[in-house]
Amino acid sequence: MTRHRVVLWLAAALVAAPFAPLVVQSLAFRWAWPDLLPATWWWERRDVAPAPLAWDYVLSPYSRVGEATLNTVGIGLAVTALALMVCLPAARALARRPHPGLEAAVALPLLVPEAAVALALTVLFVRAGLAGSYAGIVVAHLIPTLPYATRLLTAVWRGLPPDFEEQAALLGATPAQVMTRVTLPMLLPGILAAGLMTFLVSSNVFLLTFLLGQGSVVTLPTLLFAKLGGGALDASTAGIALVVALPGLALMLLADRLLPRDAWAKGFGA
Amino acid sequence: MIREAPRGGLRGALGAALPFVPLGVVLGPLFGGALLMALAQSLGHAPWLGLRAFPDASPYVALWSDPAFWTSVGLTLWYATVATALALALGLALALAMRALPGARALATVARLPLVVPYALGIALALATMGQGGLLSRLAAAAGWIDDPGQFPRLLHTHAGWGIVAVYVWKQTPFAALALLAVLTGLGREREEAAALLGAGRWTILARVVLPGVAPGLASAGLICFAFNMGAFEVPLLLGGGYPDTLPVLAWRDVSDADLSRRLRGMATVVSLVAISAAALWAWARLLRRWMPPR
Repeated sequence: MTRHRVVLWLAAALVAAPFAPLVVQSLAFRWAWPDLLPATWWWERRDVAPAPLAWDYVLSPYSRVGEATLNTVGIGLAVTALALMVCLPAARALARRPHPGLEAAVALPLLVPEAAVALALTVLFVRAGLAGSYAGIVVAHLIPTLPYATRLLTAVWRGLPPDFEEQAALLGATPAQVMTRVTLPMLLPGILAAGLMTFLVSSNVFLLTFLLGQGSVVTLPTLLFAKLGGGALDASTAGIALVVALPGLALMLLADRLLPRDAWAKGFGA
Repeated sequence: MIREAPRGGLRGALGAALPFVPLGVVLGPLFGGALLMALAQSLGHAPWLGLRAFPDASPYVALWSDPAFWTSVGLTLWYATVATALALALGLALALAMRALPGARALATVARLPLVVPYALGIALALATMGQGGLLSRLAAAAGWIDDPGQFPRLLHTHAGWGIVAVYVWKQTPFAALALLAVLTGLGREREEAAALLGAGRWTILARVVLPGVAPGLASAGLICFAFNMGAFEVPLLLGGGYPDTLPVLAWRDVSDADLSRRLRGMATVVSLVAISAAALWAWARLLRRWMPPR
């Protein structure tokens, strides 16, 4: 038991500890090597810097954080809606009649290197005039999200045996009533889990957005990538890196609240 | 499980295929079409660039006779393999801990955080901790081991790839842990308890009961992590040792080159990447099947 506790503490520490220098850097005024803590914090120089320089920059329009957040959320919502529409019928059919070959085919995008697909797709999109457009990016995000959505939704449909729908129909419900009173309420928690997962995967996609956006569509991952391009980490980059972690953190806490404990487990290949 | 009775005839077949049409319409042209076009391009078919040499193997001849390409293949496979093995081992330890302590929800939430953030954040964290001016270097100075940042071992921007592997492992350990936890939950603990009652020690139980039990989870989570690592772009680009880079970076540099023959070579790199990755995945699946026979 203690052994397991040590593992869990160690894992949490290894995840959390690297964030410390980012937080410190974003609040430092001067932090030279080899000081463990800044020689001058921003609040000691409030005469020059009324706000921490990093956060002043992050919150200003020059950082493009607002634009990137809006784009990330908008693209994520569109991808989620499309993915659910595309996957729900297929998942229902797979749940009622398992088909290992088709299930493997749907998982294929997870097994083909992302860079290969993204580079190949760029040529296709440039020729089709889709490069640099939101529509192109949304459609491209379907590639890494559909495998997860299909798996999760197949598990959801498996949890709804057809007898419930049949019994409602026998008792005189119309097909529309069966859908709104029986099918949807029973599926809703599962659909929510699949939707949150799809949104999460989409909001973390970098390469497809970077290549297909052609620099004109900026999302949180591409924004951070552009800031990291110099190879060093300055205070404003530290601030942006911390902001980029927020949507995922919020979604995870939301999912923990709303969803049953292992709602996402079936998406992870189990 | 309740299954619908199959309907016979053409109508039945069409009805069975209908639900998959939207999925096929999206994945077919996007995923399959792009890969097929990459193959055609790599063989000289690019009329929009004024190239109509199909079939022409010269991009492959140029690529495969370049020693830098094989260095790149080796680096890509090495980083992907080491990171996958580490993530699976640590993920199994984490999954066992999560199963044993279902009440420690706050710790488990922190441990799962890497799963929900982009890789670019992992890169930022690697720069802040593993760089020569980073946290580890400052701690080494505080301990009196070094007195100049240049004396700190170079963990980033080298072909040894410590930083690349660290980011992959940091990001993928929770992924492996959740996949393995789901398998462990499905298995139940009866076999482990029976083995313990029969006198088996902790390591014997791990090797003889737990590992064979979670083999399917190790296989599928390992396949997904490995495939991802083979195709990862931003991590090796920003934390790697420069030319020769991993295959995705090499392909990107060539595909965005002004020289048309370089672009075809880039597409040959894309196709080679898919083929090498598929061969490695196939070998890994076979190895697992031989090592852990189905129960």
